[in-house]
Amino acid sequence: MQTPIRFLMGRLIQEVVVSDPTLTVLDWLRGSARRPGTKEGCAEGDCGACTVTIGTLAGGGVTYQAVNACIQFLPMLDGKELVTVEDLATSDAALHPVQQAMVTEHASQCGFCTPGFVMSLYTLYQSRTTPPAREEIDTALAGNLCRCTGYTPIIAAAASMFNLPRPAAEPPVALLQQLQRGEALSIISDTGQRFDAPVTLDALADLVERFPQADLLAGATDIGLWVTKQHRSMPHLISVGAVATLKEIEETPTVIRFGAGVSFADSLPYLAKIHLDLERLFKRIGSVQIRNSGTLGGNIGNGSPIGDSMPALIALGATVTLRKGSVERSLPLEDYFLEYRKTARQLGEFIVSISILKLENNSRYGTDKISKRMDQDISAVCAAYRLELEGGIITAARLGFGGMAGVPARARAAEAALRGKPFEETTIRGAMDALAEDFSPLSDMRASAAYRLTVARNLLLRFYLRETGADDQEAAQ
Amino acid sequence: MSVTSIGTSVKRREDKRFLTGKGNYTDDMNRPNQTHAYILRSPHAYAKIAALDVSAAKAAPGVVAIFTGDDMKVGSIPCGWQVHSKDGSPMKEPPHPPLAQGFVRHVGDQVAVIIAETYSEAKDAAELIEIDYHPLPAIADAKKALEPGAPPVWPDVAPDNLCFDWHIGDKAATDAAFEKAKWVAKLDLINNRLIPNAMEPRAAIGDYDVSNDLHTLYTTSQNPHVIRLLMGAFVLGIPESRLRVVAPDVGGGFGSKIFHYAEEAIVTWAAKQIERPVKWTAERSESFMTDAHGRDHHSHAELAMDDQGRFLGLRVATIANMGAYLSTFAPAVPTYLSGTLLAGVYTTPAIYGEVKAVFTHTVPVDAYRGAGRPETTFLLERLVDVAAEVSGIDRVELRRRNFIPPDAYPYQTPVALQYDSGDHAGCLDRALEKSDWAGFPARKAESAARGKLRGIGLSTYLEACGIAPSAVVGSLGARAALYEVGSVRVHPTGSVTVFTGTHSHGQGHETTFAQVVSDQLGIPIESIEIVHGDTDKVPFGMGTYGSRSLAVGGSAIVKAVDKIVAKGKRIAAHLLEAAEADIVFADGKFTVAGTDRSKAFGEIALAAYVPHNYPIETEEPGLEETAFYDPKNFTFPGGSHICEVEIDPDTGVTQVVRFTAVDDVGRVINPMIVEGQVQGGIVQGIGQALLENCVYSEDAQLLTGSFMDYCMPRADDVPFITVDHHTTLCTHNPLGVKGCGEVGAIGCPPAVINAVVDALKPYGVSHIDMPATPEKVWQAIQAARPAAAAE
Repeated sequence: MQTPIRFLMGRLIQEVVVSDPTLTVLDWLRGSARRPGTKEGCAEGDCGACTVTIGTLAGGGVTYQAVNACIQFLPMLDGKELVTVEDLATSDAALHPVQQAMVTEHASQCGFCTPGFVMSLYTLYQSRTTPPAREEIDTALAGNLCRCTGYTPIIAAAASMFNLPRPAAEPPVALLQQLQRGEALSIISDTGQRFDAPVTLDALADLVERFPQADLLAGATDIGLWVTKQHRSMPHLISVGAVATLKEIEETPTVIRFGAGVSFADSLPYLAKIHLDLERLFKRIGSVQIRNSGTLGGNIGNGSPIGDSMPALIALGATVTLRKGSVERSLPLEDYFLEYRKTARQLGEFIVSISILKLENNSRYGTDKISKRMDQDISAVCAAYRLELEGGIITAARLGFGGMAGVPARARAAEAALRGKPFEETTIRGAMDALAEDFSPLSDMRASAAYRLTVARNLLLRFYLRETGADDQEAAQ
Repeated sequence: MSVTSIGTSVKRREDKRFLTGKGNYTDDMNRPNQTHAYILRSPHAYAKIAALDVSAAKAAPGVVAIFTGDDMKVGSIPCGWQVHSKDGSPMKEPPHPPLAQGFVRHVGDQVAVIIAETYSEAKDAAELIEIDYHPLPAIADAKKALEPGAPPVWPDVAPDNLCFDWHIGDKAATDAAFEKAKWVAKLDLINNRLIPNAMEPRAAIGDYDVSNDLHTLYTTSQNPHVIRLLMGAFVLGIPESRLRVVAPDVGGGFGSKIFHYAEEAIVTWAAKQIERPVKWTAERSESFMTDAHGRDHHSHAELAMDDQGRFLGLRVATIANMGAYLSTFAPAVPTYLSGTLLAGVYTTPAIYGEVKAVFTHTVPVDAYRGAGRPETTFLLERLVDVAAEVSGIDRVELRRRNFIPPDAYPYQTPVALQYDSGDHAGCLDRALEKSDWAGFPARKAESAARGKLRGIGLSTYLEACGIAPSAVVGSLGARAALYEVGSVRVHPTGSVTVFTGTHSHGQGHETTFAQVVSDQLGIPIESIEIVHGDTDKVPFGMGTYGSRSLAVGGSAIVKAVDKIVAKGKRIAAHLLEAAEADIVFADGKFTVAGTDRSKAFGEIALAAYVPHNYPIETEEPGLEETAFYDPKNFTFPGGSHICEVEIDPDTGVTQVVRFTAVDDVGRVINPMIVEGQVQGGIVQGIGQALLENCVYSEDAQLLTGSFMDYCMPRADDVPFITVDHHTTLCTHNPLGVKGCGEVGAIGCPPAVINAVVDALKPYGVSHIDMPATPEKVWQAIQAARPAAAAE
């Protein structure tokens, strides 16, 4: 008899024997669970029609987060609560305030994207009690596409739902506590597919070393696509999601250390404390659903040339700590990326944490992303800059760029052009010219090489103008 | 007591099921013993299939059957509209087999269908199919496809890739008008190719009842009867009596679900071969490469003016991309749905339009929200702005001088159509006021203070909906009628079921149509059910597109209800022992005029079904009526849209910051639903103007094949939109309605681009093609930097 996974749905404990560990939550819902309310619009985490809410035990309560069911594997639900569109209305006569507000505002037309919007709004509703500002609503909805309404009525519902009487609901803390495991979940399906979810770091290290060919699974925001889009079979997945220590964040006066399993969403408040630009940038990585699933460690481990967190972290001065067996090693983040999709991670090794150097009083920092649209878009150029100033002289410079080469990279020539020079426009212009030595970007559908290079130059200038307040002065003229 | 709700925002009756996840879409359905189909598609834009071996795949686990073009020898997917060239010759009409017959002609073309117990098994097995493709040179750009030596899509049928060379209007008169011109405005523009992307991917389930030789197709369609006709009669040879087509809840269409697609024929046909249901659901990547695309017109336009700025003549030459095959309505889009609108809202006396329709190795192009009218409106309204520049006449004033005045209606245009009503100056005045046009300079200065360029643009448009009458469209090449059917069944206890041949996939017909019937019969909406989307329930119908549902389908229902009321009066006259002429029907009661003697609607219904005391000599029992309504003319919605944009000159990022729409959609039955339709259309228009673009490589590979690469509008792209109305009624349908589903997508894009060009005026920019992406805007600024610096 296989070990079933256990999770809550409809406030009942579900025990499911998993025959395919890469069965997505969406396919399970629409198939054997007979809950077709959750829709498939793209199966790649772009459209949000499959949005469901996941409840996780946290600090004596339950935290609710929206995720894309299309790229979450069923075993990842173990120990959690799954809420779908079918769960919200307590009876035919009693719609949930989210649903009632959407009726009132005419926020549904064809109805297909509607369940996804309902769940995104439901998650927003669970997170607060007062109507949010427009910007926060946009953020909550950035991962949901609607082709009918033009969004305006949905945005209106996102505000007006808070004015309706709030239904009484106690989070199912005791039930979820019952479901927590003391030791690893290990599934070996009839077809030999394996899924391991250890709960300690040592157990994880042991598994990764014993099965170096296994794929490491964190938020599944990329591996999910390998299954849904590339139709790859994943013979062995080792999930880091149940290792509590990988979700820890440690802060000292100079360094913040993020466990590799910390989600983008959970890292946001800490990054925002370092610099508001970082919060702005990280809010543009994927969508709420993606940021709730995707992890810093996964984003780095994956080695994508266009991961938007990399330039920002490289400029800050981040180190990545890897572990193999009981041995740990650390290296600068920029050295982790060797070439397109090739990284320094060895077989049997995994990322434990990422440490970021906080800014100092004389640090100047900024980051920008240029893309076709605000949300859920691949950058044409992503840039970040960190300078240390002493008496108006640049003593150290770190510039991180994405979209300019096959890997996220530092602009070493431009950095050299800055170092030891006064922080003034002529110096910046010198560094702008040096960027041409650093990068020969590609032309593609997103942007031409000339656009990329020019924008990269101008972003550097804009950073200078922003830092010196000249931006405002220029605007005022 | 009156129960009318016309003109009020009744909340939608369909919402509860959609909001609680109880909607019933095609992919939500599963038939007993169902199999799953995966369609193997061409990775090549153009190739000869030299060899195709499915033997290994047939032996793969779970595989039930595999069919290729050799197995499926059926009829060709038909085109529903025949256009003739200038010389009178019919358009070139290549065959369109559901599964490739020796050649593939676009990326995504169907090569084989793999049917297995699970979708995953079907997909795995597909990888075992061995195909020897001989790739051939391919082309995606319609303009280049016309050049000598371009790779032909159909070497035998159309070696020069020309499908037809059509024209409309009076060439000699137009050329003569240009002779007299004081000013001529000229413009070359591209109407960018779009991918519809309804949120629900297409899906189809074929089911076959062996005992009775009955076929059922469940499909994501805007018009199940049309699919039954096209597929049954032309492709599979199944009589209507043995073919049922069901389109349940459909998750958006925007035109892309009008057409009959190969997959519908494949699953219907295959279900009979294997005697099991066959289900197919598109993956999003298949939606990108197989749903008919929209727009893709290249045009050159010229407008002649006299010294007062009065329009004297207009000539337009357009190249329209048809894709690799002719989709259902494709030939009509650049011709009878575009060329006939070239007068717009203006009194231009001489107009001549030419259209060359071209085959390319791309997905078929067909009607997409607006279908032809957005293309013409964009062209005209951009051209009028250029004319304002050329003549030095203010763009608002120039439009006013050329508006068709209200007292000129009915107005015969030089390009076939006769408009019945409209008040363009009234719409414009209201839009100028609502948008605070006069206050723009202050807002522009405020933007400038923040380093931003602000621009304002307008469009004053007119479009044509509810395409009809059948005899006229038939003479223009339509191979089907364009009436609509409404059937009203009054039940013995007075509840009513209404059957409509239109289809609701977001438009809220279950609510709006019920409001209409409730008003007419004086019974509550709750007593009325609207049924659509099933050829076994609804007598007949042409479906929903071209904003026709209320104007044509609603009118058919009104006519059917009229018949119910007429029969009710005869029954009431008998029961009340009065003359039929003395019976008046109001507020749900049949009353003898001038008395308090009356029978409620429910009593008449009961009498009709329990005819104990009944005029049985002259009336049949029962109370059920059907009407076929063939309109006398199109309807002509119009309006004025005003857009304000703000541009960051450093990056080219353009944001729509204000948008005002004042539309004339005729009588408004449900203002909430109309506003929703208009808002949604405007955001699709903003998508076309600023974000969306379907890109093919030179050799016809689709580059924008996912949501990551094809930029759809999201919540934060949406400005505050003011929606208002300035109404004139349609004069020829019983409801006075015109249609509202497409006005947003038609009026919006030129308003946005006119605003962008206005903002970029300091840089000498006179035109920018859609979408005005940051890079394109930035390039336009860069190109003109020296000129601007010199100012």
